[in-house]
Amino acid sequence: MTGSRTAYRKRLLQARRHPLQTLLSLVILAVIAWVIWSTATWLFFGAKWSVVTENLPLFAVGSYPENERWRPCLWLGLLCLMTAITLLQPLVSVRWRISGLALSWCWLAMLPIGLLLLAGGAGLQTVSSRDWGGLTLTVLLTCFSGLLALPLGILLALGRRSKLTLPRHLCRLYIDGMRAVPLIAVLFFGQLLLPLFLPVGIEINRVLRAVVAFALFAAAYIAEDVRGGLQAIPGTQLEAAAALGLGPWQIQQLVVLPQALRVAVPALTNQAIGLLQNTSLMAILGLVELLGISRSLLANPAYIGRHLETYIWLAGLYWLVCTAMALMARQLERQGPSASTSAIPS
Amino acid sequence: MTIAVRAESITKTFNGSQKALDQVNLSVNHGEVLVVMGPSGSGKSTLIRTFNGLEAIDAGQLEIVGIPLDTDQDERQIRRIRRRVGMVFQQFNLFPHLSILDNITLAPIRVRKINKANAEERAHGLLAQMGIADQALKYPSELSGGQQQRVAIARALAMDPELMLFDEPTSALDPERVKEVLDAMRRLAADGMTMIVVTHELGFAREVADRVLFMDAGRVVELTDSSTFFTQAKEERSRRFLNQMAH
Repeated sequence: MTGSRTAYRKRLLQARRHPLQTLLSLVILAVIAWVIWSTATWLFFGAKWSVVTENLPLFAVGSYPENERWRPCLWLGLLCLMTAITLLQPLVSVRWRISGLALSWCWLAMLPIGLLLLAGGAGLQTVSSRDWGGLTLTVLLTCFSGLLALPLGILLALGRRSKLTLPRHLCRLYIDGMRAVPLIAVLFFGQLLLPLFLPVGIEINRVLRAVVAFALFAAAYIAEDVRGGLQAIPGTQLEAAAALGLGPWQIQQLVVLPQALRVAVPALTNQAIGLLQNTSLMAILGLVELLGISRSLLANPAYIGRHLETYIWLAGLYWLVCTAMALMARQLERQGPSASTSAIPS
Repeated sequence: MTIAVRAESITKTFNGSQKALDQVNLSVNHGEVLVVMGPSGSGKSTLIRTFNGLEAIDAGQLEIVGIPLDTDQDERQIRRIRRRVGMVFQQFNLFPHLSILDNITLAPIRVRKINKANAEERAHGLLAQMGIADQALKYPSELSGGQQQRVAIARALAMDPELMLFDEPTSALDPERVKEVLDAMRRLAADGMTMIVVTHELGFAREVADRVLFMDAGRVVELTDSSTFFTQAKEERSRRFLNQMAH
């Protein structure tokens, strides 16, 4: 107590000696206080949140048929549950802990479950993908294109390091080519040009086209991240695996990739979060995902001028999903022995 | 007595000019322990790395555990050899992402297709033999260097090899950890394992080796009984090396 008091006195003395600094500090403090005050008053009293509160179902599921809304909501709920279970793993006692493998399978199972719930079939009424929307569509686009892009990216990364000339050059060409094209161009191609090239009568689902376009684009970036991870694995690991009689594919699958992917997890998390944010570009191309549904709401005369409220709400939603993803990725990094303790002798 | 390794005038050149192996002839019988010695850069490691195809030879003939290995390396032949020849490296090279148990059972399960339970039982037995039975569920980074090297030996033994290659197995260890690894190797030799050991440990060589191969500049300088080598080496170069090592 006396320590802090003497420190306080010292500061006061210093304040007398440096009046200009003290004044500056006070001004800055005042500005910060004013910003916080005005933001808070606007948030709690000025803002009209009716645009958000009255349209929560729309934000969640878009224009999904009203009496079938429970299906996408159930899926979102399951995803929230899985997220909570995953994030709570380190906190619960060992007895209640689920193995990492089981957890991964549960997460993987979420994708077909989501597709079944949304599209229908197997006893459920089918719902056209035209009616999908909102947060559900955003998450769906992210999950499926991510799941498609990861193996593709790994194959590209392996191909780029191949000893064979042709695959190596093809992979390089693809990666460099894809990275040179802006995402919006790839999406435009998929949404607007591709249907023109296809013969009449053949129509590919719009959501599927978007997923494929995102996956093809993200794969190029993922490939480079994975390649970085692959380069971090010392050649002695390959030698040790080869000396045991493992074949070239087994060496990659059992020894190199598990280590390389762990090294690449931070970079891959970056890609996943980028992918989530990038799905908002589909709003320009007419899919009513999270941003798309907000734009159409703002076009409604009842909510004219409610931009700030809507976009703050959107930012909050994106922030929440991104944070959940980042936290889960950090947990993934912590699993198993740390990557830094490689084969270096003690 | 059957022959484990036969090398006929094998030659290996690095970067076009530098000869790592120059017309090396050698034959090692089953059950024999051969120690390879020589100054650094003499080609000792390169020599034993050609025996399991980690280095390709440029000329000559190799026959390892009865399987021929020519200058044009056939992947399948090499893998057949590697299944039957174990190798222990200077830097252990354990797989850091796998537990000790998984390190040992990986190849038996994936290469020899042994079922998991049997492979694990054998792994526990090998760990006990190496004196580290209680470390099975740890990860390599949690073990000392000497323990890691003993795991590496167990990992190689799990494939039931006919021939074990040791590439300076104690060079990366703290002096007080060297003994535990050498003791494990001594026991292995006593059990009749065919071993080719590149090492600078004179005591181990004197005590365990049947023969000593002394190399310099990629050539075989001397190949003789270990007792002869340590008491009355023929070549001036070997005597000079032994003298330097003794001081």
